[in-house]
Amino acid sequence: MDSTDLALRAEGICFAYRGEEWVLKDISLSVPKGKATMIMGPSGSGKTTLMKVLAGILDPQRGRVEVLNHEIGKRTRRSLYSLIGYIPQQLGLVRNLTSLENVLMGALGRCGHGKVMLGLFPHHEIEQAQAALDLMGISDKSSEKVFRLSGGQRQRVAIARTLLQRPRVVLADEFVSDLDLDLASEILRLMRQVAEREQMTFIANMHEPQLVREFADQVLLLDHGELVRGLPRHGLQGQPSAEVFQ
Amino acid sequence: MALVAILLSIVLGQLGFFDAARLMKGLRNMGTLTLEMLPPDASVLPVAGKALWETVQMSFAGTMLGFLVSLPLSILGTRHLFSAPLSNLSRLIAAGIRTVPVLLWAILFVILVGLGPLAGTLGVAAYTVGYLAKIYAELFEGTDPEIVEAVRGTGASRFHLVRFVVFPEGANAILTQLLFMLEYNIRASSILGFVGAGGVGFVMQVYLQTLEYRRLATVLLLILLVVLMMDGFGAWLRKRFLLVPQS
Repeated sequence: MDSTDLALRAEGICFAYRGEEWVLKDISLSVPKGKATMIMGPSGSGKTTLMKVLAGILDPQRGRVEVLNHEIGKRTRRSLYSLIGYIPQQLGLVRNLTSLENVLMGALGRCGHGKVMLGLFPHHEIEQAQAALDLMGISDKSSEKVFRLSGGQRQRVAIARTLLQRPRVVLADEFVSDLDLDLASEILRLMRQVAEREQMTFIANMHEPQLVREFADQVLLLDHGELVRGLPRHGLQGQPSAEVFQ
Repeated sequence: MALVAILLSIVLGQLGFFDAARLMKGLRNMGTLTLEMLPPDASVLPVAGKALWETVQMSFAGTMLGFLVSLPLSILGTRHLFSAPLSNLSRLIAAGIRTVPVLLWAILFVILVGLGPLAGTLGVAAYTVGYLAKIYAELFEGTDPEIVEAVRGTGASRFHLVRFVVFPEGANAILTQLLFMLEYNIRASSILGFVGAGGVGFVMQVYLQTLEYRRLATVLLLILLVVLMMDGFGAWLRKRFLLVPQS
């Protein structure tokens, strides 16, 4: 595949939190533009760490990550906002702020420090944030504090924030794992629609095989910090059969 | 546990806690003092009330000034937002300020700006800076790193993070600690008049030195009333503004 067709490419990634205890071992992967890629693996296999390395939050000891041909190790985390959007497992929403305020944080990379520091965002950003909440079907919750929202509504706020950020690649770390299957499926469908509409590339860690079958264009399996073909060495309890990964 | 109990017994013995004769004498004196305080002399209410109002003003102004200075100091002391040398320097300044007790701060400011409530207010403010800067720096450092990372990823600067993540996430604790500090400062300011730093302490000192215990009782009851009112006000504020569940 031509490098211009790739949204993200990682080569020889090795990462350890301490000394030589490698959590990620020589990982190389390619993610095509505009596709949904899902990473599966048992607990402790290094999925979250891999996601943080791909998002530029953690610096790998070895290897490199490129997003749309930009090497992320050479850029500050702040400067990556137009390339990478990141949704952590617990969503990373500020509980004491409203839905609208949380969504508006997606625009911070484009805003200075003047009126914004007083909570006064440009009018067009507020309009777009309202539109993003509307698209997520929760415009009526815009002035509701996040801690009052249900799990599904919080997920929608997190997606709306990413939408306002307008990154080219969205990385989501098991962000629907706390939801029941129907709601998780609905949120993923929404996410996929948004990704297609905005021509975003979507990469997510996922536990649930049914959701992977339904939404993934490409599936990567991680086991003990290594990318493997087929099922991991010790099997994935309740995980999909090998044909899912064809 | 047994070792701690033995150690405590030794220390209490050395401090005179097992001197029964002395303790009995103390109890008798307490009875005498209590009788001499009754009934409280209400004729000093105007004087005591005015002095206590000055104490409340000193506490309020000192606490708020200290709070305003402690916020930037604690932000600079937050290690995941600023570089280690800067945060260490900020923490060192706060620790230095905290080392000096409020009474000594009051004496220092009496020397610098002269007798009166200005010295007391500055003393309260200085002590508040030392205390709140440490508490807030630790609070801010405990902000959920996942939220910080998620918002940093939107292109937010460290000042954005302070404004939109650190402050809102810490709002409950910021308000709680501020109220605690205000309550504490009202109690602490009551004795600043002993060193000429204004407030009700001067009146208390006069009544103590002239053995006018009934008048002193009136002042103490007034202080109790103000502290209880502050507790009530604090409880109302918490109920009104602390909305995020603590879990």
